[in-house]
Amino acid sequence: MQTEADYYALFEAYQRGELAAGARASLEARLGAEQRLGQLYAEYLDLTGTLNAYGERRRTRHTISALHEAMLAAEATPVVETTLTHSVNPLLRISRTERKLREFWSGHRATVGVAASVAVLAVFSTLLGLDVWRSANLPTTGLRELRLEVAQIVRSQKALSRKVDNRMGDVSAPPVRVNKFSGTGFALTADGYIVTSAHVIKGADSLLVEGRDHQRYHAETVYADRKHDLAILRIKDRDFKTFGRLPYTFKAGQADLGERVYTLGYPREDAVYGEGALSARSGYDGDTAFYQVSIPLNPGNSGGPLLDAQGNLIGVVSSRQDDVLGAAFATKSSYLVRLVDSLKNRQPEATYRLPHTNQLAGAGRPQQLKRLQDFVFVVRVYE
Amino acid sequence: MNMDSTTALAADAQLIRAIHSGDERALSQLYRLHWPMVSHFVLQNSGSEDDARDVYQEGVMVFYEKVREGSLELSCQIKTYLYAVCRRLWLKRLTTKSRLHGVRLLDEEEHGPYLNTGAEDDVQEAEERDRRFATMSEALTHLGEPCRSLLEGFYLLEKSMLDLTAEHGYTNADTAKTQKYKCLTRLKKLFFASYKEA
Repeated sequence: MQTEADYYALFEAYQRGELAAGARASLEARLGAEQRLGQLYAEYLDLTGTLNAYGERRRTRHTISALHEAMLAAEATPVVETTLTHSVNPLLRISRTERKLREFWSGHRATVGVAASVAVLAVFSTLLGLDVWRSANLPTTGLRELRLEVAQIVRSQKALSRKVDNRMGDVSAPPVRVNKFSGTGFALTADGYIVTSAHVIKGADSLLVEGRDHQRYHAETVYADRKHDLAILRIKDRDFKTFGRLPYTFKAGQADLGERVYTLGYPREDAVYGEGALSARSGYDGDTAFYQVSIPLNPGNSGGPLLDAQGNLIGVVSSRQDDVLGAAFATKSSYLVRLVDSLKNRQPEATYRLPHTNQLAGAGRPQQLKRLQDFVFVVRVYE
Repeated sequence: MNMDSTTALAADAQLIRAIHSGDERALSQLYRLHWPMVSHFVLQNSGSEDDARDVYQEGVMVFYEKVREGSLELSCQIKTYLYAVCRRLWLKRLTTKSRLHGVRLLDEEEHGPYLNTGAEDDVQEAEERDRRFATMSEALTHLGEPCRSLLEGFYLLEKSMLDLTAEHGYTNADTAKTQKYKCLTRLKKLFFASYKEA
């Protein structure tokens, strides 16, 4: 009985053609007849074939990776002296660093692109979001409160004056603290109470009231009513005595539609007169605490007095509507009077002596203004 | 068909003949000729220089083995065939690497049409062969000494029986041969057991 190993020896000899003719013929006959032997032979062929192919594969792999090394070596050395030699591909004649960079770029191009667009998107959505958030935080959309943001004007002015200083070779002046916002205010009583808009003094650190004669007073807030946009200030300075007799009176009732009205305010450093008519007896969004007037108003006009033709004070300038042409709003004087009354009750020691006589009635407009302008002030707000 | 592709096909046929007859210089020429194309392709598709090298060598191997066997049926230029093979190989690696099914490759227009080149089948065939060789390598490892070095020496390194007899300290070539056949039967069991179950 032959073992499997014996058969393998037989197969190998048969394959190599080393068997004698008789032995070969008998093996071939047996291979044809005996199924088990046939299968054994097939397995033998498969096994040795695989082994041979595996050896071949290992050699081929070796050859090919040698080819790669040879190619790289050929690239590393060439070209310098003989300019006529051309390399296989110009792409391959780049420096190591550049190749690294190119590799990185082509490998991460998509990632970099995505990252960049995410960054751009994030920046813009943040900016947009901030903008939306800020506009959503405004008390009333479309309504512009008319206090003047002075900082940017002052900044350019400072730059100008710095230029001038340099030209003159002067020692630069000590830095002056500039106010951030300004509005208008007017006298409520002769002894130092002043009315302005609540939004003018919003966030105020300190307040300075400045008259036409550039006399400045420090002021403090007595009361602020955000809802009706009214604020009452008092002058703190000890040496302040009085404004003198107020020429106007405060109207406790309502003014009529179509009445000629005017205001005096400080949208810039000089007093500016504005005239128009009372166009509605309610304000923005039907707010009955306000009048609508057709006076062209600018930031800085806020807190200014609104007077009728007879010189009765009928309102306090508050805001304008940006999306409607020539619509400005002023708090009704009746609310001011009511506010003063309630303050009288709450602070019995403080005295509010509102003026009783109107000295403006019957006078021409220029005369009215001449008397009025001493009682209208710039309110400067420092934060 | 224009002049360019006709001459290209003629040059290809010549190259294939040379490689078939075992001309290493021809293989080297082929290797250098198409490396930039494949390297560019792999780098373009989020691969590294090393990836490109691996894929290209694998691709050339597929081509080379087909040529040596004489079973290559080329219906296009070698360039297109190699591109198709390497593209297929790289796509496979990318899919296993990224575990994403929707890998999209950037192709250069000039290398199309890479479909219907027969590359697909050839790559599959090569993979099957790879699996067979991996199993064989494993079986050889499990075989243990001295069988492993005896068989590797004879079949893989093509050493003569006389050399092996001396190397392993057998008394004569016949003892070595008997030992070899025994080893072969053991290898057969190991190999077919794991190859068939896999």
